[in-house]
Amino acid sequence: MTKPAGSLAGMLTMTKPSAGSLASRSTWVSTTSVSSSGKRIQREMVELNLDPPPGCCAGPKGDNLYNWVATIIGPPGTPYQGGIYFLDITFPCDYPFKPPKVVFKTRIYHCNVDSAGNVSLEILKDSWSPALTITKVLQALQSIFTKPDPYNPLVPGIAHLYLQDEAKHAELAAEWTLRFAK
Amino acid sequence: MARQEEEPKQSPRDPKVRARESSDPVKVVSNGTSGDSSMFSPRFKSVAAMAGWDEESLLIASLVVDDTPERQVKYKKRSDLHFKTPPTNSSRRKRRAQRRSPISMSVSVLNLDDDEETKKDESGKEKEEPQIIVNKEKETRDDKMAESSGVSCPPSSNLPCLDKLRDELSCAICLEICFEPSTTPCGHSFCKKCLRSAADKCGKRCPKCRQLMSHSRSCTVNTVLWNTIQLLFPQEVEARKAAGALNSSGEAVRQIPEKAFYNTRSVQSRRASSGVSSNREMTMRRRRVILSQDEEDDDAALAIRLVQNTEAEHQNPEQGAYNNHRSIRPLRASSYRAMTSRATSQDGDAALALRLQREEFMEAFRVNHGQSGSSLSLARANLRAMTSRVTSHRATTRHL
Repeated sequence: MTKPAGSLAGMLTMTKPSAGSLASRSTWVSTTSVSSSGKRIQREMVELNLDPPPGCCAGPKGDNLYNWVATIIGPPGTPYQGGIYFLDITFPCDYPFKPPKVVFKTRIYHCNVDSAGNVSLEILKDSWSPALTITKVLQALQSIFTKPDPYNPLVPGIAHLYLQDEAKHAELAAEWTLRFAK
Repeated sequence: MARQEEEPKQSPRDPKVRARESSDPVKVVSNGTSGDSSMFSPRFKSVAAMAGWDEESLLIASLVVDDTPERQVKYKKRSDLHFKTPPTNSSRRKRRAQRRSPISMSVSVLNLDDDEETKKDESGKEKEEPQIIVNKEKETRDDKMAESSGVSCPPSSNLPCLDKLRDELSCAICLEICFEPSTTPCGHSFCKKCLRSAADKCGKRCPKCRQLMSHSRSCTVNTVLWNTIQLLFPQEVEARKAAGALNSSGEAVRQIPEKAFYNTRSVQSRRASSGVSSNREMTMRRRRVILSQDEEDDDAALAIRLVQNTEAEHQNPEQGAYNNHRSIRPLRASSYRAMTSRATSQDGDAALALRLQREEFMEAFRVNHGQSGSSLSLARANLRAMTSRVTSHRATTRHL
């Protein structure tokens, strides 16, 4: 009984300093842009809470609005089914104009996600648009669960396998899901 | 004799002042429809002070104050600039009635809180004044926007589809109700500011459909949409305006009155150095124009014209003696007001301005109707007395 409380306190002390450092980092950036990005993020948070897309949720990690944690549940009908995937989302200071950084915290066997958790998703890079929201990003991530994009792979081996032998790929993915995401 | 005459003359004025005061709360709230309204009052006041010398314009002014305001004046302003059609009184009244009714209910509570914001807006707007004066073209554009801003009353917020409208009318970039929406060639609308920063930071493609946008031409406000938004979501728009004023204009506002003051000064000196021969005719014509169009005139333009008048009259006091006592004082008064508005608290400033205005009214009337058309020396003496009084006024208020 005491142990969870202790670990919780530990987590809090862990997150506090990082939040503080980020806040101090953001002070030298022009205040208007920070506040407008903050506003927008806040608004997204509210909207996400009001109407969360099925199979995912997201919210700020601690008291820092710019650091979020998100979870995506492996969509049924895929080898990732039943897995729970944690992601870190970091918003840049000029957020709606620059894409958020998304990193998988949970290992996943996927040709578009490397071992460090980086994701190769076009909308998180060149084709980012300020009109996109975290909700849409999460939906896009869900879509790569159901339909990996082997033509823009981050892990060519997996992409190759996916193209050559989808059954084998599915088997491995399910195994990883069982091992890391449950 | 002059004294006796002064009394009845003054009386129409007092109600006017009172009317202005009483209409103030409404102004503060009608602020909800557009921030422009708030800015009007100081401008209007100064203009009234300037134009207040003659009965005719005063009556007109009181009429204007009586049934409506800023927007109307702006509307008039525009019509004056483009096509000289006189505004129709009846429609003005209708609008006024429409606008007032829903507003006046919620007034009393908000009043005090809003006051600050309004003042802020006012001072923010003062900044625009010099620019407007300088650049007529810009002015007309501003006018269009301003006019659009307050077409009529905000509707009750219990429209069934309001939530959908909110979604529909919000900017995809900031996710708030579009503020000064700008529409891309591909038909998507965003806040002007948002669209501009998107173009700067993410390339010139529509954030929604990624279509190429032709350069920055798209940064014009979609008036119809903007009107609609202001009508549907007055609170949001107002909140955003207030936030904008807080964020950006804090610094700038401080320097504006000073700048305005120096501007008029420099213009004056420039004018004074170049002798104009046909000054008298020009002045008289201007005066007449002002008198006849007073109601329709852009108050800023009016102000600057009055200032010019004064300069002209500075050059040849003999010719302009009649007008002299009318316009010098307002010039002084306005610059004096600009100075004090920087230093003193806003409420104190307003009270002061009002007091000064009253005194000016009294004085002008005494002079006007007591000795108008009489000997030059008398007029000059009056002028001297008045200017000295104004300077002493300034001195005392500086102490405050």
